[in-house]
Amino acid sequence: MHIGGIELVKVRENLWEIPATGQMRVTGRIYISQDMIEKGLKDDEALKQVVNVAHLPGIEKYSLAMPDIHWGYGFPIGGVAATNLNDGVISPGGVGYDINCGVRIATTNLEHERVKNRIDGLISKLFNAVPTGVGASGAIIKLSTADLKKVLTKGSIWALENDLGSASDIDFTEESGTLKNADTEVVSKRAFERGADQVGTLGSGNHFLEVDVVEEIYDAKVADVFGLFLGQIVIQIHTGSRGLGYQVCDDYLKVLLQASNKYGFKLPDKQLACAPINSQEGQDYLAAMQAAANFAWNNRQVIMHLAKKVFQDTFSMSESELGFHLLYDVCHNIAKIEKHKIGKEEKEVCVHRKGATRAFPPGSKMIPAKYQGVGQPILIPGDMGRYSYILVGTDKAMEETFGSSCHGAGRNLSRTKAMKSAKGRDLVGELKQKGIVIQAKGYKTIAEEMSDAYKDVSDVVDVMHKEGITRKVAKIRPVGVIKG
Amino acid sequence: MSKSYKFIDHTADIAVELTGSSLDELFIAGAEAWLVTVVGEIVNEQDDLIDLELSSASKEELLVTFLNELNYLLTTKKWLCLAVHSIKIFDDIDGCELSAELKGTKLKGDLPLKQEIKSVTYHQLEIIAKEGNYSTLVVFDI
Repeated sequence: MHIGGIELVKVRENLWEIPATGQMRVTGRIYISQDMIEKGLKDDEALKQVVNVAHLPGIEKYSLAMPDIHWGYGFPIGGVAATNLNDGVISPGGVGYDINCGVRIATTNLEHERVKNRIDGLISKLFNAVPTGVGASGAIIKLSTADLKKVLTKGSIWALENDLGSASDIDFTEESGTLKNADTEVVSKRAFERGADQVGTLGSGNHFLEVDVVEEIYDAKVADVFGLFLGQIVIQIHTGSRGLGYQVCDDYLKVLLQASNKYGFKLPDKQLACAPINSQEGQDYLAAMQAAANFAWNNRQVIMHLAKKVFQDTFSMSESELGFHLLYDVCHNIAKIEKHKIGKEEKEVCVHRKGATRAFPPGSKMIPAKYQGVGQPILIPGDMGRYSYILVGTDKAMEETFGSSCHGAGRNLSRTKAMKSAKGRDLVGELKQKGIVIQAKGYKTIAEEMSDAYKDVSDVVDVMHKEGITRKVAKIRPVGVIKG
Repeated sequence: MSKSYKFIDHTADIAVELTGSSLDELFIAGAEAWLVTVVGEIVNEQDDLIDLELSSASKEELLVTFLNELNYLLTTKKWLCLAVHSIKIFDDIDGCELSAELKGTKLKGDLPLKQEIKSVTYHQLEIIAKEGNYSTLVVFDI
């Protein structure tokens, strides 16, 4: 078939290719169902962006997109591309403005049936404890530059050192919550200014803290290893590097636009500004991006700690009685140096995941020892009125997608259309009818973020499952939500 | 027509078409669109002044830099730009420069904002001059 002049060739039920033509260095590959193509891709620029990414110098194997594909800046959302370290490039367009936007889920011993009458009070306390919304400053006092530098180099470890976490939290965070080549010297003063009072803030828009209940289990063995059971209360947190990350991206788009000219790259899109990974500009961006990523991990760690304290207080339980454990923390906007098989050899490449999640298989030494028998947990948020998913990584992901999978649902309606659709409706009441308590900074947020505004994340997750890239482990549904 | 802005429906973020009878007017339209996005309405308490000078390789990059500067002033200095005066833009093959007088106000406490803009993007940003008017699309990543 052809969409917007781009040829799509069916490879498998849910896998399509864009043959390499013109200046494309590799083929494009999109994991998506025919139905999703018909419904969502025909008026979307995302396919053009898959083609554009295939132009990047040093790109290996494919320009990939996961089934939550929709258009972004430079890369499509759901885009994955790996570039070699010899003559390959790194691009902020393959990471995004919200560096290390990601998700974490913590499990508890609580059963929904026993605590459902206390969710209102719990959500109220969480809303007061966790700074949310536009312009809100942190639960942590404004940090000095010296302290903020420690956050940027240590990531989650800073939280641990400041009694805002435990060693086990670090073990169950991707990269142990710290990318070790972060360099604060290449992070601008402006980025520091934007991040100083945002430690421990949720942000706004599609960021959230949810109290969820495990509604369905698909793989009992893996669920058991992950510590999940039916009816269990879990906590899900979605946020990223806040203003600091946005500023790092903005700073380096400028630098790499100039670098693209300097190195003679002809870019189909300014947002694909890039530099050779082994150039000064490339190394500086990588180090600054890692610093921002560390900020984000620390942010999610601090917020989780605040949430744990609220749970203990609300249910009058000690830490061990509550059984509050971090299941895992994943990032879905990042570029990392990883080893992957290219042809017959294993080599180091820079994997860009822009709205895509790492999905490492059983046996990987990069995941906690506890999970090496089953594979890495992948956390896929849906929307606040329906469900989210917990998946597990597979060998097929390593073979086909550089160990990557989808990251979420993607929007269906613009904010304007969502507001229109919400007019005259009692959205809070509608959620209450479904057994969901919500507190948000304003009705506008609730309207813009309502379920109707999002695609069904089940469609996305099912494609990954059917193609064997990830396997479904559990479905969770919200019972309480806080939003900025 | 001197300047205008029009919001375009956009699934994920905020897109706005800017027009102006000069580059200066186009940039002012951008500042007004930015203000309406972050606070929702034009507020007329202009009790403070900032002189601004910026430079970039192209007029498109200059527009992004200019609007991001307004965002920076707001999010880190809690200074809200309410109007742009005396703006001058120089655009030649060596690059672009801007000087302007920003009128605004210092905010107190948590910022009373309608919308946070993560950054101004370069997406589909191309300033076109046609029949005496300048126009472009700008997308704010929210």
